[in-house]
Amino acid sequence: MHIAKQLMAIPGVIAAGEYAYRGDRYTYEGGLTDEYARMASILCRANTLNASMQAEMFSSFAEHCGCRPLQGWVVRGKQVSVCAVGNFFCMLENRQGVLNDVMTVMRAKVGDISDNVMKAMYSKIGGDVTEQLV
Amino acid sequence: MDLSKLMEVPGVMAAFTYTDKGDLTGQLIKEGNELTPQVLDLLAHTCVANMSIATMEARGWEALTGQKGFEPLQGFSLVGLDWSAVVNGNCGVVVKNRDADYEAAFAAISATKV
Repeated sequence: MHIAKQLMAIPGVIAAGEYAYRGDRYTYEGGLTDEYARMASILCRANTLNASMQAEMFSSFAEHCGCRPLQGWVVRGKQVSVCAVGNFFCMLENRQGVLNDVMTVMRAKVGDISDNVMKAMYSKIGGDVTEQLV
Repeated sequence: MDLSKLMEVPGVMAAFTYTDKGDLTGQLIKEGNELTPQVLDLLAHTCVANMSIATMEARGWEALTGQKGFEPLQGFSLVGLDWSAVVNGNCGVVVKNRDADYEAAFAAISATKV
């Protein structure tokens, strides 16, 4: 299943999408207009490139400090948060458990969690609504 | 500010405080990792810069789209390969990704920050 669809299956996720590292291509699901999704894609790509550059700089202080390569970033708002991992982004409500679920799914699909995603999620939160993810 | 409380966050590798400009003012680092005060200082500057950028973007996004709920920002996290930095206000933690509980980290920092 497409990652954005999987993310949208998590209750509390407002929108999710994918953008190209180069160029203007993007796809998305959820509560954004096409123009807002385009803006969100550009914003997330710019921030990810910026944060990746920062992570590269850490290596000049400690080569194996564990930051590089960067996976992504999270901005925690008052009621809404935005996550970006790899070339995917997700906008979500700050409800209990949503951010951790979103990060687990995103890291499993494009980040560093290589084993069973459900196992990783259940080990953290005990399992309830996450059955919808598979 | 009691950094020892932040050292109870799940998966924590280090806790640190910094000025509004990002200069490191205090740190606790668990033994057995490659983090140094120098790395934390750079990390703190990075996080201050990113919080400022994110605030600008959140303000602009709310004005452009009419969508509310971002401001005031409650924190920022940089997700690296092995660890994530989670910051807000003038303090932050570095947590192992393997054990990271982002919500707990944000909540702990919000409870600690001055």
